[in-house]
Amino acid sequence: MEAAPSLVLACRDLRKVYRMGEVDVVALDGVDFALGRGELLVLVGVSGSGKSTLLNILGGLDVPSDGRVFFEGTELTGADDELLTRYRRKHVGFVFQFYNLVSSLTARENVALVTDIADDPLEPEEALSLVGLGDRLDHFPAQLSGGEQQRVAIARAVAKRPSVLLCDEPTGALDFKTGILVLDVIERVNRELRTATAVITHNAPIAEMADRVVTLSDGRVQSERRVEHRAPASSLRW
Amino acid sequence: MRLPALTRKLLRDVARLKGQIVTIAIVLAGGVACFIALRGTCDSLERARAAYYDEYRFADVFARVERAPEELARRIERLPGVGVVQTRISEEVTLPMEGLGRPAYARLLSLPASGEPETNALRVIAGRLPRGERDDEVAVLESFAAAHGLCPGDHVPVVLGGNLRRMRVVGVVLSPEFVYAIRPGALINDPQRYAVLWMDRSALASAFQLGGAFNDVTLRLQPGASEGEVLDGVDRMLAPYGSDGAVGRAHQISNQILTSELSQLEGIAGMVPLVFLGVAAFLMNMVLGRVITLQRAEIAALKAIGYTNFEVGRHYLGLVSIVMLPGALVGVWGGWMLGRVIVGLYTDLFMFPDLAFAMSPALVASALLISGSAAVAGALLAVRKAVRLPPAEAMRPPSPTRYARGVLDRIGLGALAGPSGKMVLREVARRPLRTALSSLGIAGAIALIILGHFGLDSLESYLEGTLRREQRQDLAVAFVHPVSPRVVGELARAPGVVAAEGVRAVPVRARHGHLMRDSVVMGLPPDGTLRKLVTRGGGHDVPLPDDGVLLTQTLGEILGVQVGDRIDLEVREGDRRLVRPVVVGFVDESVGLTIYATLDLVAELEDDLGAVSSVLLRVEPGRLAAVEDRLRRSPFVIDVSDLRDDIQRMRDLNASVMDIWTAISVSLSASIIFGVVYNNARISLESRSRELATLRVLGLTRREISVILTGGLALEVALAIPLGLWLGRAWGALFMRNVDQETFRWAVVIAARTYTGAAAVALLAAAASALWVRRSLDRLDLIGVLKTRE
Ligand SMILES: Nc1ncnc2c1ncn2[C@@H]1O[C@H](COP(=O)(O)OP(=O)(O)OP(=O)(O)O)[C@@H](O)[C@H]1O
Ligand SMILES: [Mg+2]
Repeated sequence: MEAAPSLVLACRDLRKVYRMGEVDVVALDGVDFALGRGELLVLVGVSGSGKSTLLNILGGLDVPSDGRVFFEGTELTGADDELLTRYRRKHVGFVFQFYNLVSSLTARENVALVTDIADDPLEPEEALSLVGLGDRLDHFPAQLSGGEQQRVAIARAVAKRPSVLLCDEPTGALDFKTGILVLDVIERVNRELRTATAVITHNAPIAEMADRVVTLSDGRVQSERRVEHRAPASSLRW
Repeated sequence: MRLPALTRKLLRDVARLKGQIVTIAIVLAGGVACFIALRGTCDSLERARAAYYDEYRFADVFARVERAPEELARRIERLPGVGVVQTRISEEVTLPMEGLGRPAYARLLSLPASGEPETNALRVIAGRLPRGERDDEVAVLESFAAAHGLCPGDHVPVVLGGNLRRMRVVGVVLSPEFVYAIRPGALINDPQRYAVLWMDRSALASAFQLGGAFNDVTLRLQPGASEGEVLDGVDRMLAPYGSDGAVGRAHQISNQILTSELSQLEGIAGMVPLVFLGVAAFLMNMVLGRVITLQRAEIAALKAIGYTNFEVGRHYLGLVSIVMLPGALVGVWGGWMLGRVIVGLYTDLFMFPDLAFAMSPALVASALLISGSAAVAGALLAVRKAVRLPPAEAMRPPSPTRYARGVLDRIGLGALAGPSGKMVLREVARRPLRTALSSLGIAGAIALIILGHFGLDSLESYLEGTLRREQRQDLAVAFVHPVSPRVVGELARAPGVVAAEGVRAVPVRARHGHLMRDSVVMGLPPDGTLRKLVTRGGGHDVPLPDDGVLLTQTLGEILGVQVGDRIDLEVREGDRRLVRPVVVGFVDESVGLTIYATLDLVAELEDDLGAVSSVLLRVEPGRLAAVEDRLRRSPFVIDVSDLRDDIQRMRDLNASVMDIWTAISVSLSASIIFGVVYNNARISLESRSRELATLRVLGLTRREISVILTGGLALEVALAIPLGLWLGRAWGALFMRNVDQETFRWAVVIAARTYTGAAAVALLAAAASALWVRRSLDRLDLIGVLKTRE
């Protein structure tokens, strides 16, 4: 099967089974999923439903046990480590729940980590301005608040002008107000750079800022809902 | 120029880890320096020896006869495999040097009329070689000339065939035969009292009635010739002329001592750098492993971003190269300095025309290769962890460290220890491998100190214990020819003499089956008290049997003899009698291949009614000098020796050399121990700073938390000390096995002082580094530490 060219990411009948000694943990159990160009998608579901697993596979961090994954029409299934690394290096931006900045590098240098190896990146300063940290370029992570660190992480993710931006609970470690700031940045990146974005969250109201909401349950897509009018991130409350 | 962000990270990591990097680099430098210095000294000595032997035509075969006609040389030359042959006259003479309490002795060798011998050419340091037309010219071995300040133009008194002659020194020389000049039978060289002189052959021949004859022959082999066959051929040819057997280079005394020294040095060169490099590899692994654990999330994020495994691996190996490069450079420089010191010690001991420490590019390259492999080997395991880390790890929250109630807990130590003691024990139990390797590293360093010192201890014990127990005489009087046993009685009655016992030494060739060795039978009086024999295992005196012989253990092993076996003894002088005594036991002597028997049995060998070749005397204290002086004036006495004097000289010589070795080994070992303890402490501090800060917040004092931090280290050092002492001893024993067993066989003895000294060095170095780390504990930033996520 060839995926439709307007889709950035697509997967068919994805399964992921973790072998834990004698027992098999089925994390994904036949997931069909697609992410379109410029789309902002929110992924929700109870803890353990397989959200992170799905995102990791889509981002080339992990490989499925079964099923197929496509990126811009090219099949990723069965790709070796080298190919997946190249895929991540060129096309994917990640934002982690715990920021995962390199503590010995300044904000600018953390972004430079990406711009050093990307083909046509933004300047680190430009990426940091985009997330509203143009005046904190030379601060080390330890000198930044959690929200600021997460915004550096977003700048780092978008600086390579990725085709997809994958965020796993980007507001998970942040308070409400800071969370809004971070979501605002993600929304702006999606809008201004037209980056296809998937955001995992536990906060149901965040779904309102999306074009589409996918709910996972027990490793399957339980429901899928299109949002008619995206609410601006700044209007969200939870 | 803008540095890539990953390079900046590397530089910042380096800055943060500078203490650790410096200490590891020092240990690595120590390994490189030892390798270059020791291996380089071996190479330099070997190269100097090869060049010297080659250029100055050092002979391959050496033999002595009583007197053989010169024509025999032409026949020896025709033996298959024989190259050039050089006959000569060789005599031992006395030199009554002024200002020297006792006469000096000299080996007097003839030079052919041409001045250029076919073998064993001389290197003239000053002046020239003696000329044929003069019969009073001598060339003097450099060591003796230096000891007496002799220059060409000076005179030396020489007793030549019973007449005192004033010989003119015309040259100062070196000879490949006397790289180490020691009087046969002496414990140690004595440049003041042992000389080698060369003079024209015709002058020497007339002094010793050896015209047209020779009593010493040396020859060189043709390339590819079999030494064994030539030795046999020469022996057959010389047998009728009173030869005591030809020997190859392996038994030429100067070369034998040089070879033995080289093999010891090679043994050390093989072992010592290993300790350093092993410890460096371990520290590298420990520190890098810690860094990688700490940066686990960062590594995963880097990979998620798109950095390849190769780039991540290279990044961490970059850290290794930053340790490696300065470590190796300092090591090469240190090796060069140290090598010159060690070669300097050898230039005092061995006389080469030019001996200098040479550091070949190949040596440097192999030092770099070996140290590089050690560092990389240590790092590789840790870096592999980074390379293998799945990028999805970045998405997961970190999991808390797993602790368990360990063995130490279960055996009840935990209950004794209280909460902080428990923290210490569980920390140790959580990383048993690191604890074990740290202890092993410290133990290795302690062993190094012992290895650096046990030679002196063993020598001291030999001199003080064994030698004094075996040889209780004050003076030993040697006669020119064996004398009647009546002389013993006369000497015993001489004023000042308390006791006198006669001893007879007879050169023999001992055979057992196909095994053979030249040896000496020592005939001792059956009820003697001045010369004791000591059992194997030491301690007990062995009574002299009247129904057989005792062998030194070394000789017994060489001949493969058991108690009860018979051995063939052929006298190597006179009418070459043969006897077959039973071996009734072994004695454990450190030096020599001697056979002991009663004087009666020896008399049977020689058929001369109990003549003695020397007499051992016990003298009243205070009258030693007077007795010695009187004996010296007797024309029948060839030598009077004072054992105590020899022992003192040996001790002095060794002490000065050993001081240098001790200083080197202690400072190198201390750097290892400092490195191990410092890195351990840093890592404990870093990995537990959060916990320790929490405890401070809970109200524990600095003292209490330093106990928690350093408790594990103290345990490691406590384990290391007994292990290190044991290891040092085992190592010494292994080292002794490398040493030429036929020349020396010293029991490995380590003085209590050495043990305590090594342990003290370990404790001091450990305490110093723990205190160093404690400074950072005192500066622990409570808020800062608690704020950051581990
Ligand atoms: N490395 C792993 N080994 C074994 N089981 C795993 C592993 N990773 C995830 N799982 C299991 O797979 C299932 C799905 O996990 P996943 O992390 O995708 O859930 P999630 O929806 O992201 O949950 P949360 O909202 O708590 O983050 C869980 O049951 C989890 O225990
Ligand atoms: Mg998750």
